[in-house]
Amino acid sequence: MHIPDGFLSPQTYLPAYVVAAGAWSWGTKGLRDSLDETTVPRLAMLTALAYGLGLVMVPIPGGTSGHALGIAILALVFGVRSAFVAYSLVLLLQSLLFGAGGITALAVNALAIGLIGAAAAVATRNLLRGLGDTASIAIAAWVSVVVPGLLVAITLGIQPLVAHTSDGSPLFFPFGLSVTLPAVLIPHVVIGIGEAVLTVLVLRYVKSRKWSIV
Amino acid sequence: MVHSLKPQTWLVLYLLSVVAITFIHTPVVLAALLGAAMFGAGRHVLGILRQTLLATIAFNLTVSLGYVVISLWQANFRGEYLLLVNIRVLLLVFMGFWLVKSVDLLDALSRFPLLRLIATLAISQIKTFERILRDFRMAFQSRNLRQPKILDRTRHAAAQAHTLLDKSMASANQAALAMRSRGAFDD
Repeated sequence: MHIPDGFLSPQTYLPAYVVAAGAWSWGTKGLRDSLDETTVPRLAMLTALAYGLGLVMVPIPGGTSGHALGIAILALVFGVRSAFVAYSLVLLLQSLLFGAGGITALAVNALAIGLIGAAAAVATRNLLRGLGDTASIAIAAWVSVVVPGLLVAITLGIQPLVAHTSDGSPLFFPFGLSVTLPAVLIPHVVIGIGEAVLTVLVLRYVKSRKWSIV
Repeated sequence: MVHSLKPQTWLVLYLLSVVAITFIHTPVVLAALLGAAMFGAGRHVLGILRQTLLATIAFNLTVSLGYVVISLWQANFRGEYLLLVNIRVLLLVFMGFWLVKSVDLLDALSRFPLLRLIATLAISQIKTFERILRDFRMAFQSRNLRQPKILDRTRHAAAQAHTLLDKSMASANQAALAMRSRGAFDD
């Protein structure tokens, strides 16, 4: 669900960078505290997996893309702080190596998917733990796709209001909320089901290797 | 001249240029900047341009066609907007690929050691993934003269996923142990 480069106004992405800078500092501290020779290879492996999953994408008319995220996997294995930093790195690599996403959209994408998506996954998993591993992980993964989808749709949908010429012509993203909300959310409700299946399978692998999860 | 710049200087110049570009709303100026960037890219220009077009065409076409349909329906079509947004996206993505072509990304991140550490490991994992996927695909093709059934493809995908994760984990473990032996986790 990356927002590509060039569709966000500076009025949107510059404040987002300020917020993201604080969040990256907080996340990096948490990551540094948890890194050792056991967690580093696991983090590298699942970060690379999230990177690969994010590259199989299709454009969605609402101005973003549809693809699996892998953020729930990272969040449920490493916690929100490390998952946020790792996913930010995924977004940075995807934008620079493949032009997927972009530097201007990096902070918004990282906050929406990496931070809010990870927090949504962990909160949902904790809330629904009583339903058992499979159901709680699957629903957490679905939520980790739909909630960031909502944030991305809102961010894109307010662009015509935030940045336009004196005659009302858009300067960045052209469609309002009436287009972006259904265009982004409906596909992601479906993509979330795939993400749920994938997350359950990967976390079963993780548990079979005796790693602990949230 | 640009090729003699340090990676960190490249990174700062790139970031400042990206911010500046988003404050420019005149298609002609953006087109001139795109021309200048293409000139600056020198002999790499065609490769970077091809990469840029491939990376942007699907999204830009989707948004542009959507805009044409909706704005014509609402009778407020403005061709200048289409020029503006498409040239801006082309320029931004071209700049990103030019940066990657011109500098070692890991050198550019040298001021952020933790980020560089994870990036190094993740990139090596990505290479491992690519190699395993290629090997599996070629092996699968060579063993199937006819189109394989869905059940066979599912079994293959499951085996591939397990191997992918196990091999990746083993190679990341090796890297981490090498780092441990060099004191990377002692700080």
